[in-house]
Amino acid sequence: MALPKRIIKETERLVADPAPGIVAEPHEDNLRYFDVRIKGPDGSPFQNGTFHLELFLPEEYPMAPPKVRFLTKIYHPNIGARIDKHTLTIRLIYRFADKLGRICLDILKDKWSPALQIRTVLLSVQALLSAPNPDDPLATDVAKHYKEDEKDAQRVSREWTEKYASG
Amino acid sequence: MAKVPRNFRLLEELEKGEKGIGDGSCSYGLDNSDDIMMSHWNGTIIGPGHTVHENRIYSLKIHCGESYPDKPPTVHFLSRVNLPFVSQVDGKIDPLKLPVLQNWNRDKSLETILVEIRREMANLNNRKLAQPPEGTTF
Repeated sequence: MALPKRIIKETERLVADPAPGIVAEPHEDNLRYFDVRIKGPDGSPFQNGTFHLELFLPEEYPMAPPKVRFLTKIYHPNIGARIDKHTLTIRLIYRFADKLGRICLDILKDKWSPALQIRTVLLSVQALLSAPNPDDPLATDVAKHYKEDEKDAQRVSREWTEKYASG
Repeated sequence: MAKVPRNFRLLEELEKGEKGIGDGSCSYGLDNSDDIMMSHWNGTIIGPGHTVHENRIYSLKIHCGESYPDKPPTVHFLSRVNLPFVSQVDGKIDPLKLPVLQNWNRDKSLETILVEIRREMANLNNRKLAQPPEGTTF
């Protein structure tokens, strides 16, 4: 099963010239499946945490986006929404990362472009860690917490970082 | 073809299950919505019509190990049922007696297991088997 040249090149660069705070390594038995660690950015409530993610390049990559998921629990206010096809109402689906670590990020969905890469995706995830955005109009409990008492919400984010991401 | 790793495969199955599969006679979901490794699942089968199982609702538990989907999950009936491939001690399905588990490959899924079990219930040898009282559990 030949790996497309593009994936080989991206992998070589990820390993030889990693983005600061991001480690991504392919599994030996599946070169489309990456083990990822992202360091919590300094100055954010995720500082000193190392967040474990997994990334998979589907058959259609780069025409389809990579699939990315957090394996570490994280308290983060950004949320996603989508239109429910049956009721035509806006339904909250996930926070930035839901209970199963699924990430809501536009470039992983409708804003994906084949010009983006594994590196750009992981940098975007890292950027979301630096800049939790509680002003999203579709607030969940965490976003509400961030808006009403940012200090306390940051405290919980820090607590979760310490509890789940310091390993 | 790219080989979809366990966790992304289970996420796909979860999303499919949440939308609802087939005619609704079989369904499944995660036992705990924050089970990050997605190991523990529950399944429901509505007994097929024109059999002793008609109108009965059967609950099952399904465990997907680390090697899923290269290896099949283990499946237990929670509701009492009398079928040749189900242990009458604990409700466990004997994988050697159920073709979908015995001939397991990556193309099969939690959905195909439940649909196959339901088909077995309606099979000529099983459709009239005497059943324990409705609503009893292992």
